[in-house]
Amino acid sequence: MARLVLRRARTYILPLGVLAVTWVVIASTTPSFKGQSSVFSVLEGFPLLGLVALGLAVTIIAGELDLSVGSMAALAGVVAVKSGSTGLVGALAIATLMGVVLGAVQGTVIARLGINSLVLTVGTLILLRGAAYLASSNKPSQLKNFVISDPLLDRYGILSISSIIALSIFVVLGLFLAYTRYGREIYAIGGARDEARAAGVPRFRPLVLTFALSGGCAALAGALASLKGGSAAPQNYDDVLLSGAAAALVGGVSLYGGRGTVLNVALGVGVLSVVAAGLAARGSDASLTQLVTGALLIVVVAVEYVAGRLGQRSRLRHAAAQGAAVSGPMRA
Amino acid sequence: MTGTQTPPTPVASEGGAPTRAVARAERFSTALIVGAVAIGVIIAVALTPGFLTVDNVRAILRNASIVGIAAVGMTPITLSGNFISLGTQQSAMAASVVFVALVGNGLAPALAIVIVVVALLVVGAIQGAVVAAGLNPVITTLAAGAIIFGVVADATNGQVVSIGDHPVSWGNGSVAGIPVEVLVFALVTVVVGLLVSKTVAGREVTLCGANKETAIASGISYRRVTLWAFMIFSGALAIAGVLAGAGFGQATIQSLNTLTVDALAAILVGGTAIAGGYGSPWRSAAGALLIAVITNVMILNNFSIGGRLAVEGAVVVVVVVLLEFLRRHREVR
Repeated sequence: MARLVLRRARTYILPLGVLAVTWVVIASTTPSFKGQSSVFSVLEGFPLLGLVALGLAVTIIAGELDLSVGSMAALAGVVAVKSGSTGLVGALAIATLMGVVLGAVQGTVIARLGINSLVLTVGTLILLRGAAYLASSNKPSQLKNFVISDPLLDRYGILSISSIIALSIFVVLGLFLAYTRYGREIYAIGGARDEARAAGVPRFRPLVLTFALSGGCAALAGALASLKGGSAAPQNYDDVLLSGAAAALVGGVSLYGGRGTVLNVALGVGVLSVVAAGLAARGSDASLTQLVTGALLIVVVAVEYVAGRLGQRSRLRHAAAQGAAVSGPMRA
Repeated sequence: MTGTQTPPTPVASEGGAPTRAVARAERFSTALIVGAVAIGVIIAVALTPGFLTVDNVRAILRNASIVGIAAVGMTPITLSGNFISLGTQQSAMAASVVFVALVGNGLAPALAIVIVVVALLVVGAIQGAVVAAGLNPVITTLAAGAIIFGVVADATNGQVVSIGDHPVSWGNGSVAGIPVEVLVFALVTVVVGLLVSKTVAGREVTLCGANKETAIASGISYRRVTLWAFMIFSGALAIAGVLAGAGFGQATIQSLNTLTVDALAAILVGGTAIAGGYGSPWRSAAGALLIAVITNVMILNNFSIGGRLAVEGAVVVVVVVLLEFLRRHREVR
C-alpha cells in the first residue's frame, strides 16, 4: 500500500520540484512577486492557460492531440462577447456549449473515420479561425453591456471569479477522469488502444468525449478571458497551443498517452504562470516567454524520454502506445 | 489506428515493395486531385471575370510558390512517419530575417544565401537528430519553433529588418515572363520529387513511413532517414525564406506568419497520409496550387478574410474525409 502511494507520488515529485525551484528563483529576482499577490497572479493563469492545458491534457491522455484549441478559444471569445445581452452566465454557457458540441463533432469524425487527430484538427484549426472572423465581422468585437463583466474583475483574496470557475472545472474533471467509467475509458484508449477495444471499451464514446472536453475547456477559457477584457479579437489566442501543451507536459502528463492527472496539469500551469509572471514583471515581452516555454518543453520531453528508456516497464508501455498504429512484432 | 479486423493492410504486405493495389490507389487519388483542380479552375473562370489574365495567373503562381516550397519540403518528413512540423513559419521567418539583415549590411546575396542555407541545415539537423533519438516530432518542432521565434525576436527587438539600399536584383525578377519564385518552386518540386521517388534514400523514407518495423528489420537506418527528411525540409525553408526576403525587401518576426498552417493544408489537400508511407511531393505542390486558386477566386469575388479561412479549412476537412472514405472503400473491396 505504502509502495503504491509512493509510486503514485513519484509522478508529482519532478513537476513539484520544478515549480518550487522556479518559484524561488522568480521570487528572489522579482521584487514585486511576493506574498498574496504572487499567489493571486499565478492562480490567474488558470482561467486561460489552465483550462486550455486541461483540455489538451485530456486529448494527450487519450493518445491524441487537438491542434484547434486556439481557434476554438478565439471563436468562443467572440461568441461570448456577442451574446453579452444574455448576462455573464448566459454568455459563458452559450460559448462553452458551442465548444462542447463542436468538439464532439470533431471527436465523432475522428472516431468514425479512424483517422489521426492531427489531420482533422489542422483543418478545423483553419475553419474555426475563419468562423471567428466571420462571427465578429472581421474586426474586434466590443462588449456592449460592460456591467456583466464586473464580477470577473472582483478579487477575493488570492481568488477571482475566473480562477474559482477554472479551479472548479479542474476538480470536477479530475474526479470524472479518475473515478467514472467514462473517464477511465479515456485512459484506456490512450494507454493501449487495441487492447482496450479488445477488452470491450467502445470505439466511439471515449474519443467523442475527449474532444468534447477539450473543445469545451478551450471555449470556456476563451470566453472567460474575452469577457474579462470586454472585447474579443478573432486573431486572439494563437499561441495557447504551445503554452497549453507545454503546461500539460511540464506537469508530468505522459506524451505516450494513458498517464497523467489534473494535478499534473495544475502543477504545469503553476510553473508556466510563475515564469510568465516573473518575465512580465521585468518588462520582458511575450517572445521571451515563448523562448523559455519552448526550452522548458523540449527539456521536459527529453527527460521523460530518457527516464522512459531507463525503465523496461515504461519502454513496453511506449511500444504499446506507438505500436497501436501498425502491426508490431509483438502482435504477429 | 488502421482497422484491427483486417491485419494485412495492402501497404504492409510481404515483399516490402508497394503492391499493385497501392499503385492503383495512388493513381486514382492523383486523378481525383487533378480533376478537382481542373473543375475548380473551370468554375473559377466561369464565375470570375479577370481570372484568366496573365497578371492574375502570375499572382496565383507567386502566392502558391512560398507555401508550395515549404509543403514540398515537409512532405519527406510526413512520408517518413514523422507526421508534421509545427515550427515551419519560425524557421522560414528566421531564414528571411537573417538573409535580409546580411544583404542589408552589404554582403553579397550569393554569400548570404550560402550562410542562410548552412545555418538552416544545422537547425534542421539538430531537430532531426532529436526526433531520430525518439522524441515526438510534433512536440519537438513546436518547441523548436518557439525557441527560434524567441531568439529572432530578441535579436531584432521585434523591429522590421530592411534590405535598405541593397535591393536584390532578382528579388521580383522573372525569366521569360515567369517570376523567379515560381521557377524555384518548380525546381524544388522536381528535385524533391525525384529524390523521393528515384533514389534509394527517398524510397527508404517512404518505406519507413509505411511500416517502420519492416523497414528497420530490412536494415534501413530509421535515424538516418529522419535526419535526411529534416535536412531536406530545412533546406527548402531556407530557400522559401530567402525568396520571401528578396521579394519583399524586408522581414519581421511576423513574416510568413500563416506558413505553418498553409503548408499543412497543402500537404493534406494533396492527399499525403499524415501517418506516413503514402503520398508524394508532387501532390503537395498540387495541393498548394489548388489552395492558391481557391483563395484567388475568393479574393476576386471580395470574400472577407473570415470567409476565405472558413472555406480553406472546409476544403481541407472535406478532402481529408473524402480521401479516407475512398481509401476505406478500396480496402474493403
